[in-house]
This record gives sequence, structure tokens and C-alpha cells, in this order.
Amino acid sequence: MSVALDRQIRPIYDALDTGSHKSAITECNKVLKKHPKNALVKALKALALVRYQKVEEALALCDEVLESKPTDDSTLNAMMHVLRGLGRHKDMITMYDAAYKKQPTNEELGAQTFFANVRASNWKSAQQVASKMYKQFQEERYLYWSVISNVLQANDINTPPEMRTLLYKLALRLITSAPTPSSVHSDRFYLHLTILRELSEYDEAMTLLETPAGRNICETNLTCNEIRREIMRLRGALEDEGKRAEQRILDKGDRNWLEFLSVVDGTFASIKNLQKDAEPSADAKEQCLSKISNTLALFTKIAVQDGRKDRSGLLGLLELEHRARKHNLSTDPTRLLHLMKQYFETFGDKACCFEDLKPYLALEGEDLSAWTEVLKACPSSPSTVEAIRRAINAHKLSRYNLSTSELTVDTESSRAKLYISQYLEGLSLGTDLPATELQHVDDLAILAGSVFVNIWKLNGEEKYLYNAAVFLEFALAKSKQAFQMRLMLIRIYRLLGAPSAALEHYRLLRVKQVQNDTLSHFILSRCSTFSLAASGDLTFTSECLESSQIYVSNSQETNDYVIRAFSAEKYSQIPQFILFEDWLENSLQRDITKLEYLRMRIAHETISSDIVDLELIELKFIFDRLHHDNRDFEILPNHQPKIVEDFNTQTALFGNSEGHGWVWSFLKSYIKVLSQASDLSDVVEEKLLVGDRPQVLHKRGSLKERLARREEEEITELTPNEVSLSSYTDSLTEWLEPFHDHVRPPASVVLADVAKNTELKTGLPLRGVDVTPLQNGHTKKEEETPPITEAPEAVVGFFENMKTQFEVAKNGGFLNEALHAATITQEAFLLFVIETIRFKPASVVKVHKLGNLVSKFKPIRAVALAVLKGIAASLDGMSAQESTSERRREFVDAFGFESSEIDHDFIMNVAKRVTDSRKKVVEGMAKGLLKICTTYEH
Amino acid sequence: MSVLRPFKASDMFKFNNVNLDVWTETYNIGFYLHYLSRWPDLCCVQEAPSGRMMGYVIGKAEGQNTEWHGHVTAITVAPEYRRLSLARKMMSLLELVSDETYRGFFVDLYVRCNNFVAIEMYEGMGYSVYRRVREYYGNLGVGKDGRDEEDAFDMRKPLSRDSARRSVRSNGRDIVVSAHDVS
Repeated sequence: MSVALDRQIRPIYDALDTGSHKSAITECNKVLKKHPKNALVKALKALALVRYQKVEEALALCDEVLESKPTDDSTLNAMMHVLRGLGRHKDMITMYDAAYKKQPTNEELGAQTFFANVRASNWKSAQQVASKMYKQFQEERYLYWSVISNVLQANDINTPPEMRTLLYKLALRLITSAPTPSSVHSDRFYLHLTILRELSEYDEAMTLLETPAGRNICETNLTCNEIRREIMRLRGALEDEGKRAEQRILDKGDRNWLEFLSVVDGTFASIKNLQKDAEPSADAKEQCLSKISNTLALFTKIAVQDGRKDRSGLLGLLELEHRARKHNLSTDPTRLLHLMKQYFETFGDKACCFEDLKPYLALEGEDLSAWTEVLKACPSSPSTVEAIRRAINAHKLSRYNLSTSELTVDTESSRAKLYISQYLEGLSLGTDLPATELQHVDDLAILAGSVFVNIWKLNGEEKYLYNAAVFLEFALAKSKQAFQMRLMLIRIYRLLGAPSAALEHYRLLRVKQVQNDTLSHFILSRCSTFSLAASGDLTFTSECLESSQIYVSNSQETNDYVIRAFSAEKYSQIPQFILFEDWLENSLQRDITKLEYLRMRIAHETISSDIVDLELIELKFIFDRLHHDNRDFEILPNHQPKIVEDFNTQTALFGNSEGHGWVWSFLKSYIKVLSQASDLSDVVEEKLLVGDRPQVLHKRGSLKERLARREEEEITELTPNEVSLSSYTDSLTEWLEPFHDHVRPPASVVLADVAKNTELKTGLPLRGVDVTPLQNGHTKKEEETPPITEAPEAVVGFFENMKTQFEVAKNGGFLNEALHAATITQEAFLLFVIETIRFKPASVVKVHKLGNLVSKFKPIRAVALAVLKGIAASLDGMSAQESTSERRREFVDAFGFESSEIDHDFIMNVAKRVTDSRKKVVEGMAKGLLKICTTYEH
Repeated sequence: MSVLRPFKASDMFKFNNVNLDVWTETYNIGFYLHYLSRWPDLCCVQEAPSGRMMGYVIGKAEGQNTEWHGHVTAITVAPEYRRLSLARKMMSLLELVSDETYRGFFVDLYVRCNNFVAIEMYEGMGYSVYRRVREYYGNLGVGKDGRDEEDAFDMRKPLSRDSARRSVRSNGRDIVVSAHDVS
């Protein structure tokens, strides 16, 4: 490159670096005037165009550069970014392949070609490139690249099982051919072990592990030690592993719980290797009993030695006795109880005591009553921090085992009273804590909140939810960082139909980055129920968009780290990164959010063919995904007795948490409606798609067949109103399908149209689309208009039926149910609008002789509008009742625990927050419904 | 007592009970993947027998010549698992790996000058103040503890390779450097 040209190109890079895409384009145009053939500048312009969202123009330029088969680093690099931006990984491979072929001694090009294949998960070709590089450059790392490419190909879900072993065998052959042993490098060693594990070559793995180098690696490297443990378990060497663990515990003072588990596993090895259900021989039993007594001695020694310093010894004894009981080998019927008592005495003041003992709490009969006595003996008026923690643990432990007869409204109420009085009493212990610390008594508040929610579940009286809200708000004010209380409050406020109060707490959690995936369900689950998008309030819509940003970051960044892990030879991490990327990319919450967004979007924006087409394409992509559920429900504290539902289930909106079935169900409904309304047939979509198609796994029949099937799992995850909506949609689409198919212009016409528009915009013809001249623009079909049929009953009667549902909910005082009925009715109407938009123009109706069909729409629309207006009027009435002083007084009256601290004003404040929030949502909903009625009146 | 195991990329889906705590930052995905793609052996998790995450440490190896050392970037324990010596156990693993795998001369970490509890704990583990870094925790502003709140102590502990203990000094608290001078 000449110096002059170089000087002209630098400003382009600067502009790109600073994100001034527009000025980068201008700079490019300047240079291109003088050097119209320069591939680098063209590539840079394409990049700027991609970033400036001018995809069509970028595509044209991009193709030009690709055709010139570039080989210089700068152009390739620019093109790599362009192609990544467009999602065209396959083209990237082709480009690098060609360049590398031209310069086979260029190591950097080889690596880039390899990485291009990695980015596209093209493991087979990646392996070939790596082998070639190993031959050419004799660098051992390339050999390992080819090894792991084989492994990754074997693990790919599309690889048939019989190929897997073959690929692993090949990987083993390659790795053993390496000039230096794998143990010089812990990650190479790890890779070697995973291959041997997959091939069940445990003895060979042991040989490697027993070498001095192998031992050394496992000593310091947790990842290698983890797979070592697994291999030991797989080859059934539980006894050896138990002995090894014992040595570590004794000699090195290792207190890793895994070592204790290994000792316990080793203890029961002689009876564990038996076939299922087979009675162990007397010999094996005898052997096991003597081992149990050895382990008992070992753990007792550790427990005495460690005292309160470490929990492993005592917990080990519990685990040992627990398993002995399971195998009918317990020699002392009182031991378990004795150990639990000892554990509670020793570690009862540690916050984790309840969690530690939980696996052993399944007691019955005398054991249970004796255990309950132990817990009852715990002092009831705690005066020190330790005593408070102990009391809390005692409450949690005894609550866990409560029976149905102990769980009445009365007993639960007196428990709540007890927790609250202990809470208030113990609060003084934390007066001097800084604002960033948690209060020692927080868990008592959480317990009280859980009890109130449980009472609400028992008798359905909303006032107990008021109590929970008031008391948790009080405790949260005393302990500002208590995120668990915040999460409980979010759930409770949503149950109370107070979405903005819930959202306020959610925002205070400061959820960010990947937490948007795991925690956003707290606020976005069925959030369209509370959305005021129709009246112009985009709160939840933007919440959806913001929380979805993380998926963009994932698709842009995570891949880079996979590449980095290759460069740094961290083979243990590569499969993990790929898994992480996949789970986030195919996150269930991602598409729950997407669907909620769409449901709100159609209420807010005027429905147009642009929206229909874009959403359709996206939903079809989503429909091919294999979802992974990353939602974190464990984060909610659960202190409900084991015989009732956990707190998470109790507080799910509409008592029904959406999962895979819910997503499929809504996807099917929307894809059906949108694809009927759209002119984009599969043929058209195929032609116009930019970027690679996602890999489709386990094709389960054609799209149409898959859309038609409604599975049991889907129905159970829907609320009754959602079930109605889904059958309404099915009937509606079934009814109108023949007419859509009849009127929809043929693919060639649609493509010609798109091509014309593209050419107008970019000045270049559309790539890959062959536009045959139309015959005088005639698009009328030869076939007859399909026979006009009556509207199905499920469609005609739907709106009246929903009106009844709404009335029932309203009269029962179930605010959420009323909102749910209202939003589902609104949604059904909007789907009707989408379905009938094609038949709007009078010319279409005339040409296709559909006058009779269109006349059938009229009464349906009229009923829908009347119902929606009726609901809006009712909601208006309801909103007037909220935020009255009587409504707020209900809170105060409900809260029978007034103390000097939780005074009237405090309760009134919480009440105001809830009722204001309710008023806002009910009022806004009424307004939105009316707006939709006006927009689609005709 | 807990399960000590490697930090995995998918732990990002599991760390909410640790990260929702006010003192623990949730970084972008790239932060965790960057550490895992270079020093996976310096990143580990403590897990309760129930499978719940208790805490984790994220570290790296850096520096030239005799400054080559292990660095603790983040160490955190969920509130309900504090006072169980979990931090101590994670630190000793990080020291072991820095010593034996990376052959570093020392391990170092940064701590707010007003975090007396932590400073005392690290001193108990053999760390000492090497220098005070001015305005290391920049944007919090000067609070009630003044300088101590935004300044950091750089604390170090020599490893076996530094048998002469050249990486530490007794007057470290008096040596003040600006944040620009440290990496």
C-alpha cells in the first residue's frame, strides 16, 4: 500500500474506532473516488454500513469483496468483522479457506481459517485445518487443536452415536502420537483424561494419573482432580479412593467435603457394587459393618479434634449414619437423633445449620417427637446474637417437619406472632450495625412473611398478603441489603396486582449482565397482564428490551473467548464456554421475554405488514431452538413445611409458572397467525435471509405439522384463559387459512417487489434473486375462490365468554384475574385484526370475490368491541374504588400486630403504595382498551 | 467445610445468592470468561453440600521477573456462609497454585484501608501491607472514613520462591503511591 493511500485510510479506522459510522462511510467514499477497486476500502465501507444498520447496501459491497478473493491481512480482518456482523459464518470460512490455500505457509492465515470454522461450530473442517497446520508448522498445539476438534465434533448433538466412539478413538490416536506427553501441561492432560473416560479406558487413565507428573497436576489443579475422582468412581475403585481421601483428611488436614463423601462411598463399596435390589451376602454385610465402625472412629476423631472450627467431622458422621440406615446396617437406633442433637448444639448458631441438617430431617414417630423436643428446648427469649441464630435455626428446623394438623390458620397465626415478637425484641442487638450490614434477625422476618403467605394459601384471604407486605417492608427498612425480602415482596406485590411496587423493588436489586437472564422472570413473567402499552406506557416493553441486551452481548462476545481459550490452550474451558454460550443463546427466559414483548408491542404499535413480517421471521427462528431453562428460582428463600408447596410455587402469578410448554404454545399461536397474515412464504424467506440459518436439531416434521400439534405439556402450563385464547386462535386460523392462501401473491411477485425496492435503495440488483418479468402485472389466481364457510363457534362465542370470565373475577374481588381476562380478550381482538388485515382493501375483496367472507367479520368485530368497551367501563369503576381511604384502612385493620415501631403511618404508607399501584394499572388498562377500540373500530 | 471445586462458565447462572450482596459486583460476561480463558486454575468455587454456591475467588498471575506473582482479583462469600473460614480456604488454594504451578514470588490483593476486619484477617493469614494506593477505589467519593475509604492497601504474602522475603517490607503503610503507578 502506498504511503499516500495509507494516510487516507487511517481516518476511516479512526472513525470506525470511535463509532462515527456515518463519517467512516464518507471517508470511504472519498477514497473510493480515486481508488474505486480498492478491496480494503470497500470492506471497511461495508463494515461501516453494517454498523450503521444499512444492511442491504453492506451486503452488496460485501459480495463484491468476497468475489475478489482477498488475501491481505487488513482486508481479511475487516471482512471478518463484516461477515460476523451479518451472521455469515459460512462465507467467512470460504473466504479464509481460499486465502489460506493461496498462502499455505502463512501461519496466521491458517489460524484464522481454523477460528472461522470454530465460530461456525464446523468441527470437522476445523480438525482438517488443524491437522494441516500441524504438518506444516510442527507446532504441537495444532495437534491438540485437531484433537479437541474431534472431541467437540463427537459431542455435537447432530453427530450420530456410532460416530462418537470413532471420533474419540481418532482423538486418542492423535493425542498419543504427540512427541511430548500430555502431562507437561495440565489442560492437555485434562483433555487426554476426558478422551480416556469417554472410551472407558480407565486402566490407561489410571496409569497416567499414577505417574509423578500426573499426581502433581491433580494435587494443584481442581479441574484435573475432578475428572480423576470421576474416573475412580467409574472404574468402581471406591475403596481405593476412600483410603486416599482418608489419608488427605488425616495428613493434610483437608476438609473438602468431597473427601468426606469419598470416605463414606468407600465404606459402603462392598455392598454398593451389587446389582440393584439384590440382598448383599452375609460376608459383604460383615465387611461393611467393620468398615462403618472404622469410619465412625475416623470421623469421631476429626469431630473432636476440630470442635467448632469445622463442620465436616460431625456432618460426616451424620452422612455415615444416614447411609447405614438406608442399607439397614445401622447398629444404634438412637445414633441419628443423637448426632442431630449434637450438631444442633455445636453449630446451631451458624446460619447454615438448617441447610446442613435438611437432608437428615425426614424423621418419623418417636424420633420426630424427640427431635421436636430438642428444638423446643431452645431458649425462647434470645438475648445474644448467637442465641438469636440458634432460635432461628430451631424455628426453621421444626417448621420443616410440621404436619397438616399443625398447619391451621390459628397455629400459623400464633407462629407469625411469635416470630414477629422475637424479631422486634432481637432488633436491638443490631442497632449499631452499619447500613450496609444485614440484621441478625432478618430470617425471623422472612419466616413471618412465609407464614403469612402460607395462611393466604390456606384460606385465600388477601389480608394475609397485606400483612406479609407490611412486615417485610418494615424489616427491609431496617436491613436495606436484605435482597431475599425484596424478592419475596416482588412476588407478593404482583399477587396483589401492584406491578409498579414490584418493579420498584426489582430495580433496587440492581440486576445486571447475566443476571438479566436468571432473575428477570421475577418481573417479566406474564408481564403483559400488567402492561399499559396500549395507553402509551412502555415501562414493561423497555424492561424487556433492556433485559434482552445480554443475549446480544453473548452472541457478540462469548465466541471471542472460545477463540482465546484455543490460543491459550485452555482445553478444559472450551466445552464449558460453548455450553455457556448455548444455554444463554437458547435461554427459555429469552423467548418468554420475547413473547411478552411481542404481546405488548401489538397493543402499542399500529399493526402493519412490516411488524408482521419481522416478527414472523424471528419467531420461526425461535421455534427451532432447543431451550434451556436458566431461571433462578432457588434464590427465593423457602421455609415452608415439606408437606406444602414451596414459596416459589405458592407465589407464582396465577399459580402457574410458564415453561417450555407455554413458550411452544404461544409460539405456535403467533406463528400461525403471523404467517397467514404475511406474504413471506418459505420460498421468499429463504431467498431474502441474510446470514446462516440456525442449525435445526431433530426435525420434528414440517413446520406446518409441528404448528398443528398441541401437546399435553403445553396445556398444563397455560391458565384457563390462555387455553381459551389458544383454541380461539386455532379455530380462527383454521377458518381463514384457505382464503389467505388464495389471496397471498405468489413468491415471484413478492420477490420482484423486494428486488425493486432494494435496487431503488442501493442502486444495485438484489443478490441471488432471479426476477422473471411478470405478465402485465396480473396476479389474479386461476383457481376459484374457496367456498365461504361460517365462522366457527370458538371464535364467535369467545368474546362473550371472556366477558363472563372477567365479571366472575371482578365480582370475586380477584384483581389479577380480572386484569388477566381483560388482557387476553384484548390480545384475542388484536390477533383478529392481524388475521383480517389482508381482507381490508375493497379491491382485494372484489377481485377475489370475498364479500361474503368479509361480511362475516363484521358481527365478530362488533361483539369484540362491545365486550372490550364494557370491560373498560368496569375497570374504570374498579379504579375509583382503589386508593380510597377505606381501601387503605383494610391494611391497617388486617395488621393486628401494631407496635410502637410498626405504627399506623408506616402501614398507611405501604397501603398507599399498593393501592396507588393498583389504581394506576386498572385505570391505564381501561384507557388502553378504549384506545385499541378506537384504532380498530372499523 | 464445603465442596471446593473449579469455577465454571455456567456458574454465572448460579451465583446470584453471592452476587446480590451489596459488596459483590456482577461484571460483564467477558470479565469471567477472560479469567477462565487464561487462569482457570486460579478461579474456584466453594459449594454447600446442598449444591448452593457459598463463595468464589477469581485470580490471575502477572508481573515481570521478581514481580511475577499471583493476584486475587475478587474474593467473596455469601452473607449466610460467613464466619466459616471459607475465605481462608480459598486463599490457601490460590497461594498453593501461585506457588507450585505458577512459581510466583508472592500473592497480593487490594483491600479498602477502612476494612479493618478484612485487613486483620489477611494479616492473620500472613499478609502484610506493602504500600498504600491512593484513590484506588475512585468514584465512591470521600465518606465518613475520609481517605481510608477510597485508598487501598496492597497486601502481599511471600511464597516459597521468595525465601529471602524480598517482596514484603515492614514500613509498607507509609509508602504511598498513586493509582496510576499500579497495574
